[in-house]
Amino acid sequence: MKKMSRKVMCTVMAGILAVSLSACGSSGNNGNNSKEGASSPKASTPAASKAASKENITITFQNIYPDQTDPKYGMIRKIVAQYEAEHSNVKIELDSLNTDQQKLKLKTQAASKEVPDITIVNPAAQMQPFIDADLFAPLNEMLGKNGLKDTFQEGILDYYTFNDNVYALPDGNNIALIYYNKAMFAQAGVKVPTTFEEMVEVVKQLKAKGIQPMAIGEKDSWTGSFLFMNVLLRTNGGPGFLKDVVDGKKTFEDPAFTEAVDAFQSLVQAGAFQEGATSFDYNAGENLFKTGKAAMYFMGSWATGGIETSSVGEKGEVGVFKFPTVGGKGNPDEFMLAPGSAFAVSKDSKHLDETLDFLNYFMLNYPKEAFAVKGAVGVAQKVDGDFKAAGYSDMAMEVLGMFKGVKGGDLAFDNTMNPGTAQVHLSSIQNLFVAKKDAAEVAKEHQKGYEENKE
Amino acid sequence: MNILKVSRWTIAAFVLPCLLLYVCLVFVPITVSIYSGMLDWNGIGVSKFIGFANYNKMFTNDAIFWPTVGRTLLLAGFSMLVQLPIALFVAILISRYVRRPSFLVSSYFLPVILSVVVIGQLWKTIYNPASMGGMINQLLIKLGLDSWTHSWLTEPKVAIYSIIIVALWQYLGYHILIQFTGIQNIPADIYEAAKIDGAEGFQADRYITLPMIVPIFKISVVLSFIGSLQSFDLIMVMTGGGPAHTTDVISSHMYNMSFLSMKYGYGSAIASFLVVVCLAATMLVNLLFNRLDKRFS
Repeated sequence: MKKMSRKVMCTVMAGILAVSLSACGSSGNNGNNSKEGASSPKASTPAASKAASKENITITFQNIYPDQTDPKYGMIRKIVAQYEAEHSNVKIELDSLNTDQQKLKLKTQAASKEVPDITIVNPAAQMQPFIDADLFAPLNEMLGKNGLKDTFQEGILDYYTFNDNVYALPDGNNIALIYYNKAMFAQAGVKVPTTFEEMVEVVKQLKAKGIQPMAIGEKDSWTGSFLFMNVLLRTNGGPGFLKDVVDGKKTFEDPAFTEAVDAFQSLVQAGAFQEGATSFDYNAGENLFKTGKAAMYFMGSWATGGIETSSVGEKGEVGVFKFPTVGGKGNPDEFMLAPGSAFAVSKDSKHLDETLDFLNYFMLNYPKEAFAVKGAVGVAQKVDGDFKAAGYSDMAMEVLGMFKGVKGGDLAFDNTMNPGTAQVHLSSIQNLFVAKKDAAEVAKEHQKGYEENKE
Repeated sequence: MNILKVSRWTIAAFVLPCLLLYVCLVFVPITVSIYSGMLDWNGIGVSKFIGFANYNKMFTNDAIFWPTVGRTLLLAGFSMLVQLPIALFVAILISRYVRRPSFLVSSYFLPVILSVVVIGQLWKTIYNPASMGGMINQLLIKLGLDSWTHSWLTEPKVAIYSIIIVALWQYLGYHILIQFTGIQNIPADIYEAAKIDGAEGFQADRYITLPMIVPIFKISVVLSFIGSLQSFDLIMVMTGGGPAHTTDVISSHMYNMSFLSMKYGYGSAIASFLVVVCLAATMLVNLLFNRLDKRFS
């Protein structure tokens, strides 16, 4: 009898354990489902009928404005709150991530076809794989509503257009330029260089006075590549080098490329960049300039807002100049162009109409709100308003002036070439910061990487 | 089984939930990733089955792959041959000379519970060039050893060692804790008996502590080896694999390929390789220690 009851007890206990475990398991599943619900609203409104116009819906808005000190953080929330107030049945859920995390998350989501209703993509070549996989909804029709299309600057939407369909709307349109610290330049007695050779000379003079000439965050290898590509834009005597490579008209072993490598190396070898540059990430590099520890900083005009509000910016010490000619070649009015990250809409969104309606509203309000928070330098849309009167700094006005003189240019390497080739390029350029290389060797490395990754 | 006096069904009922969980979370993903390794796939679009081409390329035609394997093994080697003996030595010292060891052991353990990101940033500032306030370089300059200063994290030849040192430092406390616990569990009467026979101090360690701690030491070895093979976070925080891949290890190469170069299939092939190496290494370590066990018992 005793034995019997023990046996029964055992089985019962085992049963309880198994049940409780499987209960845990299923509650875990529920947890997953609700999480999925956050990224794709299909699960969040399971019972509601699709036809009902006043059904409660949630739109997931993945974005790259997680930084509370960034004016855009408050701006996006303001527009969302306005929209929610006007549309009581719609809830916009913000999924704010930093740039790298967002790229990774989107790729993972795309692999399982669970793209959020609105997400962020980068232009041209970086968008291509998503377009090939047919993940985004075309936005042509939506652009026609409320005159949204006319708010965008001319030509900017081309970078997001595939087969005559616009698939994403950019939040910015930037150019690359060099910021410099006027006080440090005065201290070393140097003038703004008008040629690349003068710039190398300025670097040497600053260095002689114990001033760190340039700052860069080369751990994020695109920063060095961006600068290198600007040198190449000059040595090639104009834009289109990479396109010529893709079209088979040129190879990386073209003299324009090796000249660019040599010029770039002369800058590195002159000691332009801070020691240990390859272990500085983007923010750490930029902070050197912002805190007055470096005299020059090459970056896209998106950095203007941040530099304006930094300690050197507030003292009014910062000026800007165009990237100079290299070896007498190139036109300073041709810039590295950086059409910004852009908002795309998932094709499989359960609330496609509402999502498109919201994005239309968002983009219509974007330039106005950006202008109000002094974030309108480098916006992809036309901005109404007097920048000077609104209190934009002299530096910001100078940058705005540069925009007016833009006569074309090139996109960054990773916006032009496929990801595989881009990675070969990025690490090859990063290597130039730590080792002196033969230009022909660098060219060969590029050509090999390009051919291996060609599809 | 009958000694347990429960039916097979009961045993099955107990084992089943865990088994299911294990199969779903371990075996299924591994199988999937071995299969993905045979695809030409960017992770988003259409995939194409290409058999073993990825594996073939990995072994024969990838200039980055074998150096990353070398660096991974280097890390594992340092971990096992430098870190573990130090940990054992410290554990022996603590258990012999320290009255209330828990405080010391906890302090050594502290870096283990710190986030890797915190540790990475901390050591990055320690390794910084002197002009940026790096502690090591400033110390060297103060000592008049200017020629010894390096840009620790960015010179291709020294960068990987700089990272290895941090990794060893971080997990030293972990292994001290494991081995210290092992030593504590050795019955005191054995030492007392040895004392009567005239064996004291390091002699006692040689003939009592070392043989008796072998099973615990084995755990340390397996953990440190597998941990080294999988090292990833510290490298991403400190150098991101740079400059120009000179600090990349297998797992960071896998990440670069899968997510940055968007060769998801190729990345999966590297992942499968990593799994196989981990399994093989565990088996090897087990085999070695079984022999050791036999020798001592």
